[in-house]
Order: sequence, then structure tokens, then C-alpha cells
Amino acid sequence: MALLEAEQVVMRFGGVVALDNASVDVDPGEVTGLIGPNGAGKTTLFNVVTGLLPPTSGTVKFDGVDITRAGVSRRSQMGIARTFQKLEAFNTLSAFDNVRVAVEKNHRAKWKHQRVNDVAHGMLGKVGLDDVADVTVGTLPTGSARLVELARALACRPRVLLLDEPSSGLNEEETTAIGQLLLGLVADKDNDLAVLLVEHDMSFVMGVCARIHVLDFGKIIAVGTPIEVQADTAVRAAYLGSDEFRGAYVGVDE
Amino acid sequence: MTFGLRRSVVVTAVVAVAIATVIAVFTWAGTPVTAKTFLNATYIGLTLGALWAMYATGLVVVYTTTGVFNFAQGAIGVFGAFFYWELQMNRGWHPILALFVVVFLFAPLLGICLDVLVMRRLRTAPLVVQLMVTVGMMVFLISLVGTIWNANTPRWVNAFFKDSGGIDLGPAQLTWHRFIVFVTAVVVAVILRFLLYKTRIGTAMRAVVDNRELAALNGARPNMVSSLAWAIGSMLGALGGILIASELEFNPSNLNDIVIIAFAAAAFGALRNLPLAVVGALLLGLLRQHTETWLNFGTNFSKAHLGIAPLLLFAVVVALPQARLEVGRVVSNLRRRERYTNWWEGLIGCGALMLCAVMFSGGWLNFGIWDPEAWGGPALNSANAAMALALIGLSLVPLIGWAGQVNFAPLAFAGFGAFVYLKLAGDTGNGYWIPLVGLICAPLGALVALPAARLRGLYLALMSMAFAQGMALIFFPHEWVIPRIGVGRQFSHIELFGITFDDRRGYFLLMMSVFVIGVYGLVLLRNSRYGRRWMAMHGSQAAAATVGIPVVQTKVVVYAVSASLAGMAGVFWATVAGNLSAGQDFDLLNGFQIVLLIAAAGVSIPMAGIFLVFTPLFTGLSHRLEDTGNVGFLVEILDQLVVLGPGLLAIGMVFNPRGAIFEMGRGFSPILPWRSDARAEIAAENAQKREPEIGELGLERPFTPEEVIAIDRRLGILDEVVPKEGYGAARS
Amino acid sequence: MSDETATPLLELLGIRAGYGTIDVLHGVDLRVMPGQVYALLGPNGAGKTTTLGVASGQIQPHAGSVLLDGHEVNGVSPDRLARAGVCLIPEGRGIFPNLSVAENLRMSTYAGVSYKQVQERAFAQFPRLQERRNQMAGTLSGGEQQMLAMSRALSTDPAILMLDELSMGLAPIIVEELYEQVASLAEAGLSILIVEQFAQAVLGVANEAAIMLHGRIQRTGPPAEIAEELTAAYLGMS
Repeated sequence: MALLEAEQVVMRFGGVVALDNASVDVDPGEVTGLIGPNGAGKTTLFNVVTGLLPPTSGTVKFDGVDITRAGVSRRSQMGIARTFQKLEAFNTLSAFDNVRVAVEKNHRAKWKHQRVNDVAHGMLGKVGLDDVADVTVGTLPTGSARLVELARALACRPRVLLLDEPSSGLNEEETTAIGQLLLGLVADKDNDLAVLLVEHDMSFVMGVCARIHVLDFGKIIAVGTPIEVQADTAVRAAYLGSDEFRGAYVGVDE
Repeated sequence: MTFGLRRSVVVTAVVAVAIATVIAVFTWAGTPVTAKTFLNATYIGLTLGALWAMYATGLVVVYTTTGVFNFAQGAIGVFGAFFYWELQMNRGWHPILALFVVVFLFAPLLGICLDVLVMRRLRTAPLVVQLMVTVGMMVFLISLVGTIWNANTPRWVNAFFKDSGGIDLGPAQLTWHRFIVFVTAVVVAVILRFLLYKTRIGTAMRAVVDNRELAALNGARPNMVSSLAWAIGSMLGALGGILIASELEFNPSNLNDIVIIAFAAAAFGALRNLPLAVVGALLLGLLRQHTETWLNFGTNFSKAHLGIAPLLLFAVVVALPQARLEVGRVVSNLRRRERYTNWWEGLIGCGALMLCAVMFSGGWLNFGIWDPEAWGGPALNSANAAMALALIGLSLVPLIGWAGQVNFAPLAFAGFGAFVYLKLAGDTGNGYWIPLVGLICAPLGALVALPAARLRGLYLALMSMAFAQGMALIFFPHEWVIPRIGVGRQFSHIELFGITFDDRRGYFLLMMSVFVIGVYGLVLLRNSRYGRRWMAMHGSQAAAATVGIPVVQTKVVVYAVSASLAGMAGVFWATVAGNLSAGQDFDLLNGFQIVLLIAAAGVSIPMAGIFLVFTPLFTGLSHRLEDTGNVGFLVEILDQLVVLGPGLLAIGMVFNPRGAIFEMGRGFSPILPWRSDARAEIAAENAQKREPEIGELGLERPFTPEEVIAIDRRLGILDEVVPKEGYGAARS
Repeated sequence: MSDETATPLLELLGIRAGYGTIDVLHGVDLRVMPGQVYALLGPNGAGKTTTLGVASGQIQPHAGSVLLDGHEVNGVSPDRLARAGVCLIPEGRGIFPNLSVAENLRMSTYAGVSYKQVQERAFAQFPRLQERRNQMAGTLSGGEQQMLAMSRALSTDPAILMLDELSMGLAPIIVEELYEQVASLAEAGLSILIVEQFAQAVLGVANEAAIMLHGRIQRTGPPAEIAEELTAAYLGMS
């Protein structure tokens, strides 16, 4: 049984169907990718899983427990952490305090000040932000602020980590570093961590994901390894537009 | 989802009706129920409702098109009413002419000026700033009316056709004035409906609500649309103000207080639905008039029928479904870093302040004007009153400054604290009861916050305002709450550590100590996990929830903490004054002034509380100058500042939302020897500001304007966009 | 009239722009000639929408110039450009959800065409909209919403049309229908700047294409060639 399962999730906004019976499952010990064209419903699915949006129908299960009706903070305490596509940092706090808030909320209450600080510094170090720890996050460049969000999510001691476009605003080296970090985290058996990754940088996705779900028009159109997904006709059609009109395919000649 | 909403509405309605029935049974006045009395009450109720509907629709139109909830709507009505009085009653203009000038010339102009100068900049501002600026505008306009037209002079406005009887409808009669009011309200509603739904500009007004950027891409002018909305809102406010003036006691705060009825009506339509807002207003009018006619609340609750609007607001807020956490609303890029005072810096600052206070009260620090023997008494009295306000102001720091939630009822909580203290300590003045007072006030704060904490921040602000007015109208006037005493003090002097603080100097030192302890306590609180958590929630509620912080619960806790602090501060407020009067001390405007002053001072920083000495200090200074004589104009200026200052300062938040003390801190911190970081930041900023020198651009001197024009012409750059002919063949 | 062919209808020169202090575009040069259909392709986050934002006046560039028919229009407000004939259909349903279909069409009249004419033309192209003219636009299906958005382009005789991700989240059959409309506008000589992720969708209509990556235009050329390179860019294959 998968750690996190979204089953047959439907999300309607007025006349628009953002998610149409989408099912996604995430296993610990690996990075699972969620890709799809703009507007396919990836972020909506994240919002449903974390509880920010109540789905029209369908269920979300975590560790076998139905959490479809659980509140956002409850789910977080169960071990679901996330980052956001558009920055949601605690702007008036320093980078260090951003992480510290999460550490304080998610570790033992009797922890001494020093221990909380050590853990928070450790998280900042993991994403390479030691030197801006005392800077107000609202004044940091977007890329660094996104890394603060990542450190904050890690500080929640997640069992499932949902990352929404972590590479945007980062340069190539930083992106690679994040990829290495994620692979290291999921490989560590003690963490028992599952990662669900929404990303548009395909070389990043293909590099770190063990499995990929492809979402199109709110439907899951393919699930498989990176190689399977890259070769999938439906996926290519989804990204390049359908072959039902105006000429033949481009670039399926290998 | 829809079922849940309906159920909550139904439950609220049933509970409300049940409570109303019980109240009605116990307070039945015994007025004979005849068709005539019933219809009379109904007619008057409908007229009142129609008037409030005008205010409420003005609010809704402005809120939906510009996103700014205009607390100054009532104040615009007050201004309109007084201006009408000036023209019609004082200068003897024909009523129609005066009405035309005020409603169709002055009011729209005022609305457009408000929009262009102030409100337009608020569209993307944080809620706290929006609220402070519009409430500041309200306080400013009200005090401006008070300075132009002396508020203490009794005035009245004649009803239209006041001597010519009325129109007979069934057994009861409707005066011509009320008939006109009702017809006007109906006509206004019809015109508004036509404008919004049948004209292009009206369609654009509603389109801007949906998607401002897209409206611009269509070619509609969003700024013009918002100016039009403000003009309409202002016209409705002024019209309502003029028409209601003859029905009520004619003074600024009385006319302004009715705005909360408009808020309740608007909330009835979830702040966005015009027809529902009108229904809400009519309902309120009927409720109010029928209660006044049939029920008798006795002398202790003589103003209870006025409390219906706050109660309805409360009920509506309870019935509204929970709001979703919003994503993507984080205000981007702060321009400046913030660094919070740490524990030892706080200790140094507080110690220095305390030292100054001791020296001041002892007469050692005299600035050349201070003579403790000659006029130390009055000055210390003002200082003590000021410190009491500063203490109440401190209670708002965690709430508004850190958690970003608004409370317009600090005085209601403070008054409740004073009441609890009176009941606990009685005549003894035993100060050891104060912590218990704090404990008792906390649940009250939680109770006020609970229904609104699930909703958007604006509702919490409205709720606190309703609470403040409800307490002022229903709770505090009750004889049992704060007994009226002919002479002497209601509140005995505080007694602590075996000392009775009954002289001004001792009291001043006590107040200063409490203030310093309060500031230092807040510094520690902010550096604790709770302070961080609250500020995190302010930064992003959605993100706070996803790290495990329960948002609603946290808001309620902060509210309780704030209420508790305000309650304890209230003990000092009451004991320094000796007496509290339900009619004056709990006036909504006084509470607003405290909130506005501390917000404009920089409410996230505890030391900003010291800015609350503003009003008493200026009042004291002005009295002092008056004593010395010869500086009449200075006294005049100071008096005006006392009255207009808080509103003006709050309006200034449009340009400096972080508050005055924030900028002062930036100026001050580089002086401190250990703040090398502050010096480095200032140096870096100055380096950035430097403009490139002419030589670096390869020029010997700047271009002259003639040269710029010549270059533009050479490059074919014109500043007009002229579409070439022939693009749209069909465009005639 | 002779030099009109030489003046690009829309020209971006060295545009640097972004949100706040962060640049998304790092020097974009782009020219759309009269009558040309120009497709700007590239993955998410490349800066395509920002480019349209600059061209339509919504975003002020930090550096560079926007020229419309040879006139510099930096700093001109988007509503003024719209009335002058710049028509941008934004990404993700350019409609007002709480206005009826007819009222949505009424908003198009700011571009200078009468209400009656707008309705006639829109309903002629998309008869389905006429059936639903009094329905709230937010309750329409995704495809109908995009038709409604598109009808502004069809009914107002714009000088230049910009389309942002017209196909986003729509079924292929509807995308096809919409692009037929675009093709007929192109045939009538309208200049069009299309931003698309789906290269396939625009191949039949575009006569010039460009790939945008990381805030720069990487390559311009004939659409078919460009589209071929896109596959690799999108799916992370080299």
C-alpha cells in the first residue's frame, strides 16, 4: 500500500473541471514526479492533498487513513509538508526564524532552545543558506526565498514532501544541488521519506524521479518510469498538442 | 457544502428568534396593539431602513469595485449633513438648491478626491493598512466637521414639508418627509440597478471586480471606474446623511455611529450583494422601530434598541461559512530588512526609559520648561492619563502588529477589565487582583474572536467594532456595572506592596514601571516561539497551516492575550481617572484614536506605545501655553493637532505603512556601537543611490530639453499612439 | 504606404522586465511584421507571458523599448493600448466569470465597435454563445469560456492580436475549432503574436516561430524547424 494515495479526485470550479478522477500514489524511499502541461491541474491536486481545497469528490488517504476531511494543520502534523508554486514565505521573519517556526511546531515541546536552533541551522545548511540565516526573507531574492520554503518544509519532519516547482528561480547549479539533496533524503532509510515533485524542468524531473505521473486536462494519462513516459505517445500529444489536426507529428522519429 | 451553509443559517436564525422572543416576553411595554400603532411603527421602520440602505449600498458599491471597505462612509454622510445645514439653515438657501449642491457637486468631488489622493493606493495594501487609513479618514472627517462647525452648539435640520401634514396610508399617516425619503431610496435603488446592469460603465464596474487586468485589456479605464464608484458611494453617503439628519440628534458622532448599522446591513449581503444589503437594512429598520415601540428595557438598558445592529452583525458573522485559506497573497519584496530587538537590547532601552522617567518626575530632567512645584500637578496628570492609554495601546501590539488581526474595541476590553477589578477589589484598591482581571478578560476576547476568526480579517475588524458599540450601548450604561457616584471616586487608588498610590508622582512612577515591564515583556514574547508563530501566521496563513499551525485557534489565542492585556491596562486607566462615564469614555471614536495612533506609530514595535502620549501631551502643552498667554495661534494649532492629528497620521500610513518608529529606529540604530550591520546597510543603500556621473556615460554635459526633442524626432519617437488608418476596415 | 512593409507592427528591443526587482526577461528582441503570424514557443517559465505583458503595457520593462508601428509606447497604459487596437487574450480564460455572456461581449465595445456589431459577429462565429447569452460566463464549460474570450479578437478589428496559451486545458477538438478562427483572421491579414506551449497547435497558422528559454529568444526560424527542436527542450532529452 502506498503512503499517500489520492483516489478518483474530482475538483470542479464552476463549469471548469480542474481534476477529473485523478489518482496518484506516492511511495516512501523514492521521488515521484507529477508533470503535465500548464493548467493540467497539478497545483490543484497539491491543494487537495494538503487540505487547502476540499475536493468535489474522491478521497485522499495517508498511511491508510482517510484524511479527505482533515484540516490543513492536522495533515501537516501527520507528516504532509509542502512548498508553494508562488512564494508563501513568512516575509517579515528571518530565514532562520522561518525554519525555526516549523521546528518548534513539529519537534518535541521539551526541546531546549539550543537543540531547536541546531536543527534549524542544520536545515538551512542542507539547502545552502547558512550565510543568509539572519536576513529578513522578504528582502531575499526569489530563488533563495524558495529554498527557505524548502528548508521550512523539511523542518516539519515530513513523511511526504510535496514540492511545487522547486527549481523555478534557481540557476542550474542550485537545481542540481536540490536534486542531489532530494535523492539523498529519500535514499536515507531512517527518513522513510516520500517526495511528490511538480516540475517543469524536465531534465531535473527525469534525473531524480523513479516514477512519473502525467496529468492532462485533470486526468492522469500515464504513469511510469521516466523512459516509459518520454516514449509515451499520449504524453507527447499532451505536450505538443494533439495529432488529430493540422499535420503529422513532429519529432517521434526515433 | 450548500447544505452546511443553509444549516448554519437556519440554526442561527432559530436561536436568534428564540432569544428575541424571550426578550420580547420579558420586556413587553404594554403599548396597545392597533392597526394604527403597528402601521406607524412599520412606516417609520421602513423609512429608517431605506436610509440605512443608502449608506449600505454605497459601501457595497465601493467595496466590490475597489476592494476597499470604506469605514468613512458614515463620516461622509456627517460632512454632507453639516454642509447642507450650513447652506440651507445657516445661509438660507432653498432646500432643493442646497441639496443639489451638496449631493451632486460636493459629494462626488469629495469621493473622487479621496480616490485619487488616498484610496487608489490602498488597492494592494495589507488589510491592516486599508483599515487604518479608512478609519483614519473617518476620524479625520468627523473631527474636521467638529472644528469647522462647533460640535457643542445645538443644531437641527428641518424636515422637508414639515408643516404640511402627510399622506394617509391606511389608518396611519406618513409624513411628507418620510414619504420623500422612502421614494428617494427606491428611486436611488432603481437608478443604481440600471447603472450597474444596463450601462457599459456599470458593466465595467462589475467587470473590474472580477478581473481588473482583463478589464484594462478590454480597454476600460480601471481608475475611472474606481473614481466613479467612490463618487457614487460618496453621493449615497451624503444623501443619506442629509435625509437622516432631521430624524436624529444632530451632532457628528451621533450621525456617524449609525454607520455600524450600514455595516451590519452590508454584512447581511456578505459585503458584496446589493439586494441583500438593502433587505438587511430594511429588516434592521423594522426591528429597531418595532422594538422601540413595543418593548421597554427599563432605564438600565435604555439604549438597548440601538444595540440591534451590532447583534445582527454578530449573528451574520456566526452564520457565514468558513473562508478558505488563500494562497498567493503574500506581499512581495520588502524593501528593508528587519531586525528585532533582542533581550539585552530591550533591557538597556527599558532601563534608559525608566531612568528618564524617574529623573523627570523628580524634576532633575527639566528641559528648561519643567517646574515640578509650579505646574507639576497638571502635567503629571496628563502624563498619567497618557501612560494609561499607552498601556492599552500595548495590548494591540501582538494582535495588530504581529498577528495582523484588527481590534477596534481596546476600550471595551479595558472597560471590562476595570469593571471586573471593581467587583473583585471593591473599595480596597488591592492591586494583587490585577492578574486575575487579566485571566477573566482572556475568555471574553476569545469569545469575540471565535465566530469571526474563521472568516477574512475584515469581519474580525467589523466584529470588534460591533462589540465595542454593543458594550457601550448595553453593558456599560447599566447601573450595576459601573455604579454612578455623585462625588468622589468610583475606583479607589491602587494599593500594591503596602503602598497606596494616591499621589500623582507615585502614580506616574507606577505607570512608567508597568509600561516598561509591559514593553520588555512584549520584547521577550516576540522573541519567543509564540511571537514567531503569530508573525508567521501574519506572513502567510496557508503556509502557517501547512507547517502545522492551526490558524483559527491561533487567532483566537492572540485575541485572548490582547484582551487580557487590555483588561489589565484598563485597571490602570480606570484608577488614574477615578471615574469612568459610560456615555463618554467608551465612545467608539476614542477607541479608534488609540488604534490609529499606535498603528501610525508602528504597531509591530512595542515601544510605539509611547506615541500614545500624543493627544494628552499636546492637550497639556496647549493648556500650559494658554496659562502663559500671548501665544493664541500656537494654542490654536496645538488644539487642531490634537483633534485632527490621529486621523491625519493614520492616513499617512498610505505612504509609510510600517509606521513612524520604524523609520526612527533605522535612523537611530547605526549610532549604537554594536550595530555594525545597520551601518553597513545604510552604506550599501547610499552606494546604490549614487547616480552615474556624466563622464561615465561618455558625455561632457547633460542633454538639454531641446536636444532631447531633436533626438526623439530623429529616432521617430512620438509620445502619442496613433493607430494607422486601414487597420480595421469595418471601424467607421 | 511604400515604407509600411519595412516598419514592424510590433517591435521589442532589448527588453528586460520582470516582477519586483527580479528580471524574468533578459534582453528580448522580437519583431512582428504586418500580416505576419508569429509563434513564440517554449516551456513553462521561459518568460513568454511576461513578454506579452510587456507588449500589451501591463508590465513596464526595466530596460528596452516597445515600438508599436514605429512609435515608442513604453509607459502607455494597457487600457489605452487596448483602445488603440492592441488585443491580448490572456492565459487561462480571459473572461469575467460573474458577468453574463452578453455583458462580457459588451466589455469588448471599449475597443470602438458597437455593441450590436460585437454581438452579431461573436454569435455568427460561435452560435453556442448565443444560446447562452444570459448565462453567467463562469458557468460555461472551459471551451465555451475560451470561445467567449476569443470573440473579442474576432469582433473588434484589432490592429494586432496576441494570444496567450489559447489551448491551455482544452480538449483537442476545441483547440482545433479555435485555431480555425485564428487561421481565418490571419488570412484576412491580421498580425498575430501567439504564445503557445503546444507547438503542434500553431504550426498550421504561423509563418514565423521562435523558441524562448530562460528569458531569451534562443532561435527564430520557420515553424516546422523550430517545433522539431522543441520536443527535446520540453521533455528534457538532448
